[in-house]
Amino acid sequence: MTVHPNGRNVTVNKTRPIALTVGATGAFALLFAATPALADSHTATLSVLHAIPETPVDVYANGERLIDDFEPGTLAGPLTLPGGDYDLALYPADAEDASGEPLLQAMDVSVPAGANATVTAHLTEAGEPALTPFVNDTSAVPAGEGRLTVRHVAAAPAVDVRAGGEVIIDGLVNPNEESVTVPAGSVSADVVVAGTDTVAIGPADVTVAEGANTIVYAWGSADAGYELATQTVQAGASAPTGVPGGSAGLAADEGMPAPLVGLTVAGLAGAAFAGRKYATSRV
Amino acid sequence: MRSSVVAMVLGLVLAIGTPITWALTRPDATAGTTVEQAIDAPSPSAVPPSPAPSAAPSPSGAVPPTVPALDLPPVPIRDAAPTVAAPVPPPVRLSLPAQGVTAPLDAVGVSPDGQMELPEDVDRVGWYRFGPVPGDDGSAVLAGHVDDREQGLGALAPLRTTEVGDVVVVTGATGAETRWQVVSRELITKQVLPLDSIFNREGPPRLVLITCGGPFIPELRSYRDNVVVVAEPLP
Repeated sequence: MTVHPNGRNVTVNKTRPIALTVGATGAFALLFAATPALADSHTATLSVLHAIPETPVDVYANGERLIDDFEPGTLAGPLTLPGGDYDLALYPADAEDASGEPLLQAMDVSVPAGANATVTAHLTEAGEPALTPFVNDTSAVPAGEGRLTVRHVAAAPAVDVRAGGEVIIDGLVNPNEESVTVPAGSVSADVVVAGTDTVAIGPADVTVAEGANTIVYAWGSADAGYELATQTVQAGASAPTGVPGGSAGLAADEGMPAPLVGLTVAGLAGAAFAGRKYATSRV
Repeated sequence: MRSSVVAMVLGLVLAIGTPITWALTRPDATAGTTVEQAIDAPSPSAVPPSPAPSAAPSPSGAVPPTVPALDLPPVPIRDAAPTVAAPVPPPVRLSLPAQGVTAPLDAVGVSPDGQMELPEDVDRVGWYRFGPVPGDDGSAVLAGHVDDREQGLGALAPLRTTEVGDVVVVTGATGAETRWQVVSRELITKQVLPLDSIFNREGPPRLVLITCGGPFIPELRSYRDNVVVVAEPLP
Protein backbone atom coordinates (compact mmCIF):
# COMPACT_ATOMS: atom_id res chain seq x y z
CA MET A 1 0.00 0.00 0.00
CA THR A 2 1.33 3.37 -0.94
CA VAL A 3 -0.29 6.75 -1.26
CA HIS A 4 -0.93 8.53 -4.51
CA PRO A 5 0.18 12.17 -4.75
CA ASN A 6 -3.39 13.41 -4.53
CA GLY A 7 -3.91 11.64 -1.24
CA ARG A 8 -6.20 8.83 -2.35
CA ASN A 9 -5.18 5.32 -1.55
CA VAL A 10 -3.59 3.20 -4.19
CA THR A 11 -4.03 -0.54 -4.17
CA VAL A 12 -1.07 -2.59 -5.31
CA ASN A 13 -1.27 -6.11 -6.64
CA LYS A 14 1.93 -8.00 -7.31
CA THR A 15 1.57 -10.78 -9.83
CA ARG A 16 3.89 -12.87 -11.88
CA PRO A 17 3.32 -14.00 -15.44
CA ILE A 18 1.37 -17.21 -15.39
CA ALA A 19 3.72 -19.22 -17.54
CA LEU A 20 7.46 -19.18 -17.75
CA THR A 21 9.46 -17.38 -20.36
CA VAL A 22 10.52 -19.74 -23.11
CA GLY A 23 13.63 -19.96 -25.19
CA ALA A 24 14.07 -20.52 -28.88
CA THR A 25 12.54 -23.97 -29.07
CA GLY A 26 10.79 -24.28 -25.75
CA ALA A 27 7.22 -25.36 -25.31
CA PHE A 28 4.80 -24.03 -22.77
CA ALA A 29 1.18 -23.93 -21.82
CA LEU A 30 -0.63 -20.74 -20.95
CA LEU A 31 -2.50 -21.29 -17.74
CA PHE A 32 -5.35 -18.86 -17.23
CA ALA A 33 -6.34 -20.03 -13.80
CA ALA A 34 -7.09 -16.54 -12.54
CA THR A 35 -8.99 -15.30 -15.56
CA PRO A 36 -12.61 -14.37 -14.81
CA ALA A 37 -15.18 -15.83 -17.16
CA LEU A 38 -16.17 -13.30 -19.78
CA ALA A 39 -19.41 -12.80 -21.66
CA ASP A 40 -18.48 -14.88 -24.66
CA SER A 41 -17.92 -18.46 -23.69
CA HIS A 42 -16.35 -19.64 -26.97
CA THR A 43 -13.71 -17.11 -27.89
CA ALA A 44 -10.57 -15.68 -26.37
CA THR A 45 -9.12 -12.21 -26.85
CA LEU A 46 -5.46 -12.15 -27.76
CA SER A 47 -3.03 -9.32 -28.49
CA VAL A 48 0.59 -9.59 -29.53
CA LEU A 49 3.23 -7.01 -28.61
CA HIS A 50 6.55 -6.92 -30.42
CA ALA A 51 9.17 -5.66 -27.98
CA ILE A 52 12.43 -7.08 -29.39
CA PRO A 53 14.40 -4.08 -30.70
CA GLU A 54 15.55 -3.89 -34.33
CA THR A 55 14.07 -7.26 -35.37
CA PRO A 56 11.04 -7.19 -37.69
CA VAL A 57 9.35 -10.60 -37.73
CA ASP A 58 6.48 -12.59 -39.23
CA VAL A 59 4.19 -14.28 -36.74
CA TYR A 60 2.77 -17.72 -37.54
CA ALA A 61 -0.02 -19.49 -35.70
CA ASN A 62 -0.64 -23.19 -36.45
CA GLY A 63 1.62 -22.83 -39.49
CA GLU A 64 -0.36 -19.95 -41.01
CA ARG A 65 1.00 -16.44 -41.24
CA LEU A 66 -0.94 -14.34 -38.74
CA ILE A 67 1.05 -11.07 -38.86
CA ASP A 68 3.33 -10.01 -41.72
CA ASP A 69 6.31 -7.68 -41.21
CA PHE A 70 5.61 -7.10 -37.53
CA GLU A 71 7.72 -4.11 -36.46
CA PRO A 72 9.23 -3.65 -32.98
CA GLY A 73 7.17 -1.26 -30.84
CA THR A 74 3.87 -2.21 -32.42
CA LEU A 75 0.86 -4.00 -30.98
CA ALA A 76 -1.30 -6.41 -32.95
CA GLY A 77 -4.86 -7.06 -31.93
CA PRO A 78 -7.08 -7.49 -30.14
CA LEU A 79 -7.77 -10.72 -32.02
CA THR A 80 -10.86 -12.74 -31.24
CA LEU A 81 -9.81 -16.37 -31.49
CA PRO A 82 -11.72 -19.56 -30.87
CA GLY A 83 -10.49 -21.03 -27.62
CA GLY A 84 -7.99 -23.86 -28.09
CA ASP A 85 -4.33 -24.72 -28.39
CA TYR A 86 -2.08 -22.78 -30.77
CA ASP A 87 1.45 -23.26 -32.05
CA LEU A 88 3.08 -19.84 -32.26
CA ALA A 89 6.30 -19.11 -34.12
CA LEU A 90 8.27 -16.00 -35.02
CA TYR A 91 10.37 -15.93 -38.19
CA PRO A 92 12.59 -13.18 -39.55
CA ALA A 93 10.42 -10.81 -41.61
CA ASP A 94 12.33 -11.67 -44.79
CA ALA A 95 11.67 -15.42 -44.46
CA GLU A 96 9.67 -16.88 -47.34
CA ASP A 97 7.48 -19.11 -45.21
CA ALA A 98 7.44 -21.12 -41.98
CA SER A 99 9.76 -23.86 -43.29
CA GLY A 100 13.09 -22.67 -41.88
CA GLU A 101 14.40 -22.30 -38.38
CA PRO A 102 12.15 -20.02 -36.30
CA LEU A 103 13.55 -17.17 -34.23
CA LEU A 104 11.24 -18.12 -31.40
CA GLN A 105 8.49 -20.63 -31.05
CA ALA A 106 6.01 -21.95 -28.54
CA MET A 107 4.04 -25.15 -29.12
CA ASP A 108 0.56 -25.93 -27.82
CA VAL A 109 -0.12 -22.55 -26.27
CA SER A 110 -3.44 -23.10 -24.55
CA VAL A 111 -5.76 -20.12 -25.08
CA PRO A 112 -8.96 -21.00 -23.20
CA ALA A 113 -12.29 -19.44 -24.13
CA GLY A 114 -13.00 -16.27 -22.15
CA ALA A 115 -9.34 -15.40 -21.64
CA ASN A 116 -7.90 -11.96 -22.40
CA ALA A 117 -4.15 -12.13 -22.84
CA THR A 118 -1.20 -10.41 -24.46
CA VAL A 119 1.68 -12.49 -25.79
CA THR A 120 4.84 -10.41 -25.66
CA ALA A 121 7.94 -11.06 -27.75
CA HIS A 122 10.73 -9.40 -25.82
CA LEU A 123 14.23 -9.66 -24.38
CA THR A 124 15.05 -11.23 -21.04
CA GLU A 125 17.13 -9.37 -18.48
CA ALA A 126 20.19 -11.04 -20.04
CA GLY A 127 19.15 -9.92 -23.56
CA GLU A 128 17.87 -13.26 -24.91
CA PRO A 129 14.69 -13.21 -27.02
CA ALA A 130 11.65 -14.72 -25.30
CA LEU A 131 7.88 -15.07 -25.60
CA THR A 132 5.95 -14.27 -22.44
CA PRO A 133 2.16 -14.49 -22.14
CA PHE A 134 0.46 -12.10 -19.74
CA VAL A 135 -3.15 -12.39 -18.60
CA ASN A 136 -4.85 -8.98 -18.76
CA ASP A 137 -6.80 -8.18 -15.59
CA THR A 138 -10.31 -7.14 -16.67
CA SER A 139 -11.91 -7.20 -13.22
CA ALA A 140 -13.98 -4.18 -12.19
CA VAL A 141 -12.41 -1.01 -10.80
CA PRO A 142 -14.24 1.59 -8.65
CA ALA A 143 -16.02 4.46 -10.42
CA GLY A 144 -13.65 7.26 -11.39
CA GLU A 145 -10.59 5.03 -11.26
CA GLY A 146 -8.49 3.03 -13.67
CA ARG A 147 -6.04 0.17 -13.33
CA LEU A 148 -2.43 0.87 -14.30
CA THR A 149 -0.38 -2.26 -15.01
CA VAL A 150 3.36 -2.09 -15.64
CA ARG A 151 5.24 -4.98 -17.30
CA HIS A 152 9.02 -5.16 -17.30
CA VAL A 153 10.08 -6.74 -20.60
CA ALA A 154 13.36 -4.88 -21.17
CA ALA A 155 16.92 -6.24 -21.09
CA ALA A 156 17.54 -4.43 -17.82
CA PRO A 157 17.73 -5.12 -14.08
CA ALA A 158 15.04 -4.20 -11.52
CA VAL A 159 13.28 -0.86 -11.92
CA ASP A 160 10.96 1.47 -10.02
CA VAL A 161 8.05 3.19 -11.75
CA ARG A 162 7.20 6.76 -10.76
CA ALA A 163 4.07 8.82 -11.44
CA GLY A 164 4.32 12.55 -10.86
CA GLY A 165 7.72 11.96 -9.22
CA GLU A 166 6.39 9.50 -6.61
CA VAL A 167 7.34 5.82 -6.72
CA ILE A 168 4.14 3.81 -7.31
CA ILE A 169 5.76 0.47 -8.16
CA ASP A 170 9.13 -0.58 -6.82
CA GLY A 171 11.59 -3.36 -7.53
CA LEU A 172 9.91 -4.72 -10.68
CA VAL A 173 12.05 -7.32 -12.48
CA ASN A 174 11.86 -8.84 -15.98
CA PRO A 175 9.41 -10.51 -16.87
CA ASN A 176 7.06 -9.57 -14.02
CA GLU A 177 4.13 -7.18 -13.87
CA GLU A 178 2.47 -5.13 -11.17
CA SER A 179 -0.87 -3.30 -11.04
CA VAL A 180 -2.13 -0.28 -9.14
CA THR A 181 -5.56 1.31 -9.11
CA VAL A 182 -5.37 5.08 -9.48
CA PRO A 183 -7.79 7.95 -10.19
CA ALA A 184 -8.41 8.17 -13.93
CA GLY A 185 -6.55 10.86 -15.84
CA SER A 186 -3.14 11.69 -17.26
CA VAL A 187 -0.02 10.93 -15.28
CA SER A 188 3.57 11.82 -16.07
CA ALA A 189 5.34 8.49 -15.66
CA ASP A 190 8.98 7.53 -15.75
CA VAL A 191 11.01 4.42 -15.06
CA VAL A 192 14.14 4.60 -12.90
CA VAL A 193 16.81 2.09 -11.92
CA ALA A 194 15.43 0.48 -8.73
CA GLY A 195 16.21 2.47 -5.61
CA THR A 196 17.80 5.37 -7.48
CA ASP A 197 16.81 8.58 -9.27
CA THR A 198 18.56 7.48 -12.47
CA VAL A 199 15.89 7.80 -15.15
CA ALA A 200 15.93 4.91 -17.63
CA ILE A 201 12.77 5.76 -19.61
CA GLY A 202 10.64 8.88 -19.87
CA PRO A 203 9.04 10.84 -18.47
CA ALA A 204 6.05 10.24 -20.72
CA ASP A 205 2.41 11.26 -20.33
CA VAL A 206 0.23 8.20 -19.89
CA THR A 207 -3.57 8.41 -19.85
CA VAL A 208 -5.10 6.05 -17.30
CA ALA A 209 -8.57 5.45 -18.71
CA GLU A 210 -11.53 5.16 -16.34
CA GLY A 211 -12.99 1.67 -16.05
CA ALA A 212 -10.09 0.17 -18.01
CA ASN A 213 -6.73 -1.49 -17.54
CA THR A 214 -3.98 0.68 -19.02
CA ILE A 215 -0.94 -1.54 -19.53
CA VAL A 216 2.51 0.01 -19.86
CA TYR A 217 5.45 -2.06 -21.11
CA ALA A 218 9.02 -1.03 -20.42
CA TRP A 219 11.02 -2.58 -23.25
CA GLY A 220 14.25 -2.32 -25.21
CA SER A 221 17.93 -2.81 -24.47
CA ALA A 222 20.92 -0.72 -23.50
CA ASP A 223 22.20 -0.81 -27.11
CA ALA A 224 18.88 -0.05 -28.85
CA GLY A 225 17.53 2.24 -26.15
CA TYR A 226 14.63 1.82 -23.76
CA GLU A 227 11.04 2.79 -24.54
CA LEU A 228 7.47 2.54 -23.29
CA ALA A 229 4.61 0.80 -25.07
CA THR A 230 0.98 1.01 -23.99
CA GLN A 231 -2.15 -1.05 -24.38
CA THR A 232 -5.64 -0.36 -23.02
CA VAL A 233 -8.01 -3.20 -22.16
CA GLN A 234 -11.58 -2.57 -21.04
CA ALA A 235 -12.14 -3.60 -17.44
CA GLY A 236 -15.48 -3.67 -15.67
CA ALA A 237 -16.58 -0.06 -15.14
CA SER A 238 -18.47 0.71 -11.95
CA ALA A 239 -21.27 3.16 -11.20
CA PRO A 240 -20.86 5.79 -8.47
CA THR A 241 -22.30 4.71 -5.12
CA GLY A 242 -25.08 7.30 -5.17
CA VAL A 243 -26.17 10.81 -6.11
CA PRO A 244 -26.28 13.45 -3.35
CA GLY A 245 -28.47 16.42 -3.98
CA GLY A 246 -29.67 18.85 -1.33
CA SER A 247 -29.09 20.03 2.18
CA ALA A 248 -31.85 22.51 3.11
CA GLY A 249 -35.17 20.69 2.88
CA LEU A 250 -36.71 23.52 0.85
CA ALA A 251 -38.09 21.12 -1.77
CA ALA A 252 -39.12 18.41 0.69
CA ASP A 253 -42.36 16.49 0.47
CA GLU A 254 -43.94 17.66 3.75
CA GLY A 255 -46.31 15.63 5.84
CA MET A 256 -49.98 16.73 6.06
CA PRO A 257 -50.26 20.50 6.64
CA ALA A 258 -51.08 21.59 10.26
CA PRO A 259 -54.64 22.91 9.54
CA LEU A 260 -55.60 19.54 8.05
CA VAL A 261 -54.07 17.71 10.99
CA GLY A 262 -56.15 20.02 13.25
CA LEU A 263 -59.31 19.20 11.30
CA THR A 264 -58.66 15.47 11.68
CA VAL A 265 -58.05 15.79 15.41
CA ALA A 266 -61.20 17.95 15.79
CA GLY A 267 -63.24 15.31 13.97
CA LEU A 268 -61.92 12.55 16.25
CA ALA A 269 -62.57 14.64 19.37
CA GLY A 270 -66.10 15.50 18.20
CA ALA A 271 -66.84 11.84 17.49
CA ALA A 272 -65.50 10.79 20.88
CA PHE A 273 -67.50 13.49 22.67
CA ALA A 274 -70.72 12.60 20.82
CA GLY A 275 -70.13 8.90 21.41
CA ARG A 276 -69.69 9.41 25.11
CA LYS A 277 -72.81 11.57 25.26
CA TYR A 278 -74.71 8.83 23.39
CA ALA A 279 -73.43 6.19 25.78
CA THR A 280 -74.37 8.15 28.92
CA SER A 281 -77.82 8.96 27.52
CA ARG A 282 -78.56 5.24 27.18
CA VAL A 283 -77.84 4.43 30.84
CA MET B 1 -79.73 10.96 21.49
CA ARG B 2 -80.18 10.89 17.76
CA SER B 3 -78.25 14.13 17.38
CA SER B 4 -75.28 12.66 19.23
CA VAL B 5 -75.18 9.74 16.76
CA VAL B 6 -75.19 12.17 13.87
CA ALA B 7 -72.44 14.21 15.54
CA MET B 8 -70.38 11.05 16.09
CA VAL B 9 -70.72 9.99 12.45
CA LEU B 10 -69.86 13.47 11.22
CA GLY B 11 -66.82 13.56 13.49
CA LEU B 12 -65.58 10.21 12.16
CA VAL B 13 -66.16 11.25 8.55
CA LEU B 14 -64.10 14.38 9.21
CA ALA B 15 -61.33 12.41 10.95
CA ILE B 16 -61.04 9.81 8.21
CA GLY B 17 -61.95 11.91 5.18
CA THR B 18 -59.43 14.70 5.74
CA PRO B 19 -56.24 12.62 5.45
CA ILE B 20 -57.66 10.53 2.59
CA THR B 21 -58.63 13.63 0.59
CA TRP B 22 -55.22 15.15 1.26
CA ALA B 23 -53.42 11.99 0.12
CA LEU B 24 -55.52 11.70 -3.04
CA THR B 25 -55.03 15.31 -4.12
CA ARG B 26 -51.20 15.28 -3.82
CA PRO B 27 -49.17 15.34 -7.01
CA ASP B 28 -48.04 11.89 -8.12
CA ALA B 29 -44.55 10.85 -7.09
CA THR B 30 -44.13 8.97 -10.35
CA ALA B 31 -45.09 9.48 -13.98
CA GLY B 32 -44.71 7.19 -16.97
CA THR B 33 -42.89 3.87 -16.88
CA THR B 34 -40.35 2.94 -14.23
CA VAL B 35 -36.83 4.26 -14.55
CA GLU B 36 -35.32 0.83 -15.16
CA GLN B 37 -37.82 -0.01 -17.90
CA ALA B 38 -37.29 3.38 -19.52
CA ILE B 39 -33.52 2.95 -19.62
CA ASP B 40 -33.49 -0.62 -20.87
CA ALA B 41 -36.33 -0.37 -23.41
CA PRO B 42 -35.28 0.18 -27.03
CA SER B 43 -36.08 3.63 -28.43
CA PRO B 44 -39.11 3.79 -30.70
CA SER B 45 -36.95 5.74 -33.11
CA ALA B 46 -34.02 3.40 -32.75
CA VAL B 47 -32.78 1.73 -35.90
CA PRO B 48 -32.43 -2.01 -35.38
CA PRO B 49 -28.73 -2.72 -35.02
CA SER B 50 -27.17 -4.09 -38.14
CA PRO B 51 -25.96 -7.64 -37.64
CA ALA B 52 -22.44 -7.61 -36.34
CA PRO B 53 -19.84 -9.00 -38.71
CA SER B 54 -19.85 -12.52 -37.40
CA ALA B 55 -16.72 -14.53 -37.05
CA ALA B 56 -16.42 -16.92 -39.92
CA PRO B 57 -18.37 -20.00 -38.91
CA SER B 58 -16.32 -23.11 -39.05
CA PRO B 59 -17.98 -26.09 -40.68
CA SER B 60 -19.01 -28.37 -37.86
CA GLY B 61 -16.91 -31.46 -37.49
CA ALA B 62 -14.35 -30.34 -40.04
CA VAL B 63 -12.02 -28.78 -37.48
CA PRO B 64 -9.96 -30.82 -35.06
CA PRO B 65 -10.84 -29.52 -31.59
CA THR B 66 -7.27 -28.88 -30.47
CA VAL B 67 -6.14 -26.91 -33.53
CA PRO B 68 -8.81 -24.37 -34.50
CA ALA B 69 -8.72 -23.12 -38.08
CA LEU B 70 -7.38 -19.60 -38.36
CA ASP B 71 -9.84 -18.10 -40.81
CA LEU B 72 -9.30 -14.59 -39.50
CA PRO B 73 -9.78 -11.04 -40.79
CA PRO B 74 -6.59 -8.94 -41.14
CA VAL B 75 -5.01 -8.28 -37.76
CA PRO B 76 -5.18 -4.62 -36.68
CA ILE B 77 -1.68 -3.34 -35.89
CA ARG B 78 -0.81 -0.02 -34.30
CA ASP B 79 2.15 1.83 -32.89
CA ALA B 80 2.27 1.07 -29.17
CA ALA B 81 4.02 4.29 -28.10
CA PRO B 82 2.12 6.11 -25.32
CA THR B 83 -0.46 8.61 -26.52
CA VAL B 84 -2.62 11.06 -24.60
CA ALA B 85 -6.26 10.67 -25.57
CA ALA B 86 -7.99 13.86 -26.69
CA PRO B 87 -10.64 14.77 -24.10
CA VAL B 88 -14.27 14.42 -25.18
CA PRO B 89 -15.89 17.87 -25.61
CA PRO B 90 -18.44 18.14 -22.76
CA PRO B 91 -22.06 19.33 -23.20
CA VAL B 92 -22.59 22.92 -22.02
CA ARG B 93 -26.28 23.61 -21.32
CA LEU B 94 -29.47 21.91 -20.19
CA SER B 95 -32.94 23.28 -20.75
CA LEU B 96 -36.40 21.98 -19.86
CA PRO B 97 -38.73 24.67 -21.26
CA ALA B 98 -41.96 23.20 -19.84
CA GLN B 99 -40.61 23.57 -16.30
CA GLY B 100 -38.72 26.81 -16.88
CA VAL B 101 -35.38 25.09 -16.23
CA THR B 102 -32.22 26.29 -17.94
CA ALA B 103 -28.80 25.63 -16.46
CA PRO B 104 -25.14 25.55 -17.51
CA LEU B 105 -23.46 22.13 -17.32
CA ASP B 106 -20.15 21.25 -15.64
CA ALA B 107 -18.23 18.03 -16.36
CA VAL B 108 -18.01 16.18 -13.04
CA GLY B 109 -16.60 12.87 -11.82
CA VAL B 110 -16.69 10.98 -8.55
CA SER B 111 -16.41 12.43 -5.02
CA PRO B 112 -13.95 10.95 -2.51
CA ASP B 113 -16.92 9.19 -0.83
CA GLY B 114 -17.67 7.34 -4.09
CA GLN B 115 -20.85 9.26 -4.93
CA MET B 116 -21.31 11.23 -8.15
CA GLU B 117 -19.74 14.68 -7.81
CA LEU B 118 -22.13 17.67 -8.16
CA PRO B 119 -21.36 21.35 -8.82
CA GLU B 120 -21.29 23.38 -5.57
CA ASP B 121 -23.35 26.09 -7.25
CA VAL B 122 -27.00 24.93 -7.14
CA ASP B 123 -27.71 26.92 -10.33
CA ARG B 124 -25.37 24.61 -12.26
CA VAL B 125 -25.88 20.98 -13.20
CA GLY B 126 -23.21 18.26 -13.42
CA TRP B 127 -22.65 15.96 -16.39
CA TYR B 128 -21.05 12.62 -15.40
CA ARG B 129 -17.93 12.70 -17.55
CA PHE B 130 -17.07 8.99 -17.24
CA GLY B 131 -20.38 8.10 -18.90
CA PRO B 132 -21.48 8.91 -22.46
CA VAL B 133 -21.99 12.36 -23.93
CA PRO B 134 -25.78 12.94 -24.36
CA GLY B 135 -26.71 11.30 -27.66
CA ASP B 136 -24.05 8.59 -27.58
CA ASP B 137 -24.94 5.01 -26.72
CA GLY B 138 -25.73 4.46 -23.06
CA SER B 139 -27.14 6.56 -20.31
CA ALA B 140 -25.91 10.18 -20.07
CA VAL B 141 -26.40 11.38 -16.49
CA LEU B 142 -27.07 15.01 -15.53
CA ALA B 143 -27.55 15.75 -11.82
CA GLY B 144 -27.71 18.77 -9.55
CA HIS B 145 -28.47 19.82 -5.98
CA VAL B 146 -32.17 20.45 -5.38
CA ASP B 147 -31.33 23.15 -2.81
CA ASP B 148 -28.70 24.50 -0.45
CA ARG B 149 -29.07 26.11 2.96
CA GLU B 150 -27.32 29.29 1.84
CA GLN B 151 -28.13 29.38 -1.89
CA GLY B 152 -31.80 28.37 -1.73
CA LEU B 153 -33.55 26.26 -4.36
CA GLY B 154 -31.44 24.73 -7.14
CA ALA B 155 -31.92 24.69 -10.89
CA LEU B 156 -33.34 21.17 -10.85
CA ALA B 157 -35.96 21.79 -8.11
CA PRO B 158 -38.83 21.72 -10.70
CA LEU B 159 -37.78 18.20 -11.77
CA ARG B 160 -40.29 16.70 -9.30
CA THR B 161 -43.21 18.05 -11.33
CA THR B 162 -41.88 17.08 -14.78
CA GLU B 163 -44.51 15.35 -16.89
CA VAL B 164 -44.21 12.57 -19.46
CA GLY B 165 -43.83 14.20 -22.89
CA ASP B 166 -41.92 17.25 -21.62
CA VAL B 167 -39.09 18.18 -23.99
CA VAL B 168 -35.49 18.41 -22.77
CA VAL B 169 -32.78 20.12 -24.81
CA VAL B 170 -29.04 19.62 -24.26
CA THR B 171 -26.56 21.89 -26.01
CA GLY B 172 -23.25 20.25 -26.92
CA ALA B 173 -19.79 21.78 -26.98
CA THR B 174 -20.11 22.71 -30.64
CA GLY B 175 -23.51 24.35 -30.15
CA ALA B 176 -25.36 21.39 -31.65
CA GLU B 177 -28.50 20.47 -29.74
CA THR B 178 -29.87 17.07 -28.82
CA ARG B 179 -33.62 16.94 -28.11
CA TRP B 180 -35.25 14.48 -25.73
CA GLN B 181 -38.72 13.55 -24.53
CA VAL B 182 -39.46 12.57 -20.94
CA VAL B 183 -40.77 8.99 -20.62
CA SER B 184 -40.44 8.40 -16.89
CA ARG B 185 -40.29 10.21 -13.57
CA GLU B 186 -39.83 8.29 -10.38
CA LEU B 187 -39.14 9.03 -6.72
CA ILE B 188 -36.71 6.31 -5.54
CA THR B 189 -35.30 5.79 -2.04
CA LYS B 190 -31.56 6.44 -2.25
CA GLN B 191 -30.63 3.03 -0.84
CA VAL B 192 -32.36 1.21 -3.70
CA LEU B 193 -31.46 3.53 -6.57
CA PRO B 194 -30.76 1.28 -9.63
CA LEU B 195 -27.25 2.69 -10.11
CA ASP B 196 -26.10 0.10 -12.64
CA SER B 197 -29.04 0.93 -14.92
CA ILE B 198 -28.77 4.68 -14.41
CA PHE B 199 -25.03 4.74 -15.15
CA ASN B 200 -25.16 2.04 -17.85
CA ARG B 201 -22.67 2.87 -20.60
CA GLU B 202 -24.22 0.53 -23.13
CA GLY B 203 -27.64 0.22 -24.70
CA PRO B 204 -29.73 2.82 -26.52
CA PRO B 205 -29.05 6.55 -25.91
CA ARG B 206 -30.86 7.86 -22.81
CA LEU B 207 -30.78 11.11 -20.88
CA VAL B 208 -31.16 10.71 -17.11
CA LEU B 209 -31.78 13.77 -14.90
CA ILE B 210 -31.35 13.34 -11.14
CA THR B 211 -31.85 15.50 -8.09
CA CYS B 212 -33.05 14.95 -4.53
CA GLY B 213 -36.62 14.69 -3.33
CA GLY B 214 -39.06 13.07 -0.96
CA PRO B 215 -39.08 13.88 2.74
CA PHE B 216 -36.15 15.77 4.26
CA ILE B 217 -34.33 14.05 7.11
CA PRO B 218 -32.90 16.90 9.25
CA GLU B 219 -30.56 14.64 11.27
CA LEU B 220 -28.81 13.54 8.07
CA ARG B 221 -29.19 16.98 6.43
CA SER B 222 -30.35 15.01 3.45
CA TYR B 223 -33.39 13.96 1.49
CA ARG B 224 -34.64 10.40 1.66
CA ASP B 225 -35.12 9.94 -2.08
CA ASN B 226 -33.81 10.79 -5.52
CA VAL B 227 -36.05 12.22 -8.22
CA VAL B 228 -35.04 10.39 -11.43
CA VAL B 229 -36.30 11.50 -14.85
CA VAL B 230 -35.53 9.46 -17.97
CA ALA B 231 -35.84 10.90 -21.48
CA GLU B 232 -35.59 9.23 -24.89
CA PRO B 233 -34.12 10.91 -27.97
CA LEU B 234 -36.51 12.78 -30.23
CA PRO B 235 -35.92 12.22 -33.93
